[in-house]
Amino acid sequence: MNFLLQCVPTGLLAVLLFLMLWNRAYKVCPLFFTYVVFGVAADSARIAVHGYARPFFATYWITEAGYCVLGILAMYEVFRAVFGVRTWWTYLIFPVIVIAAVMLSFVHACAVPPQVSGLLLYIVTAEIIVRFVQVLIFVWLGALAAFFGLRWRQYPLGIATGFGLYATVALLSTIRFSDFGTRFKFSWGVTSLVAYSVAVMIWIWFFRVPQEEEPPLDPKLVAHYIAVLEQYMGWMRRMR
Amino acid sequence: MVFSIVTWVILSCSALELVYLLYLAWSSTRVPKLVLGDVIHFLYPVDSSLLASLVDPAADFELRWSLSPRSFREEQRRRMRLYRELLGRMAHNSAVLAEFDNAMHGNVAGPGSKLQEAAVKVRLYCMFSRGKLRLWLWLPSAFDAVVPPKLARLRIAADLDGLKVYEELKMAAAEAFAQLRPAELEALTHNL
Repeated sequence: MNFLLQCVPTGLLAVLLFLMLWNRAYKVCPLFFTYVVFGVAADSARIAVHGYARPFFATYWITEAGYCVLGILAMYEVFRAVFGVRTWWTYLIFPVIVIAAVMLSFVHACAVPPQVSGLLLYIVTAEIIVRFVQVLIFVWLGALAAFFGLRWRQYPLGIATGFGLYATVALLSTIRFSDFGTRFKFSWGVTSLVAYSVAVMIWIWFFRVPQEEEPPLDPKLVAHYIAVLEQYMGWMRRMR
Repeated sequence: MVFSIVTWVILSCSALELVYLLYLAWSSTRVPKLVLGDVIHFLYPVDSSLLASLVDPAADFELRWSLSPRSFREEQRRRMRLYRELLGRMAHNSAVLAEFDNAMHGNVAGPGSKLQEAAVKVRLYCMFSRGKLRLWLWLPSAFDAVVPPKLARLRIAADLDGLKVYEELKMAAAEAFAQLRPAELEALTHNL
């Protein structure tokens, strides 16, 4: 694959990092910000050792493990940010999603054993788990946004959308295309690269503007409008 | 086989949601938004005192002691239907207010507002409570054999206090109205 093509996501991630710094988005999504910083550093390291087989091999797999850990942490952050209800059962949703992802990943590993062994086997399995977690959380949050009419233009939903798109394409490539054997090796590489670039562009689109916080309110004004609202509700009762 | 089906279902849902988000992005600039005037006419009144009285444990207790078992069953079913109606109105109002909040903020990027958080809580509460109520109302024959359930048990559903979350929604709505421009506030007060 063209080396320059492989540098596209790195360039886009650098743009995203700049926008996040410019709009102070690290205050809203610190774990995702860490993910982006790590992404830029990891991709730069990969580019630096490109052409040296053994260092590239080591760098690639170490950074992949880092991506797995930070990917799941970023999804946890997104999940907590979008679903604001804090009751005992809401704390069970994320672990249930992770358990479901682990089970699906193990079933897949049994059906189509990865062509690696040792530590790499764990990393590949963890990657599939993370992709399942990302897709499941995206599905969950999308369903919530549709059902509850949540505001869709918020950073966490943008992060979930980017991850959701990339993870969907990655799972389709990894799980479904693997049935076709090694003929799709090249397609897998290109598809993943394009999907990841589109995901980063989605993040750039969401992070291009600062997220506005609600302005603080004057308590006297709030009290006045509660009275107005009560008056209005009384009027509505009389009407019916 | 099951794994394949589950995987395809998950991936299809994900793809559909991507399409849905694209539609939201497209419609945010084209579909007419809810305005303040609509909110005023779309809201259904919810009598707070009636709501509180229906889930008051003392009311359950009093009715149980003052009425015959048969009359109590009938009265309890009547109160259940009444409460179901109020839950429907609460859910409807929260949906309208959430939509209004979305319309108010338009294309501005921002976190979920207090109004949206309160609306989510109310809808969750209503969803679980209505589910319980439906179950109770769908099993009329069971009431002859067992004691009718206490309506007061519905005050808390999904670990959410119904009265409290609805008050929070009203507070959040009042705050949202307070953030409107003077002309819009005038429109609200004019209709009162």
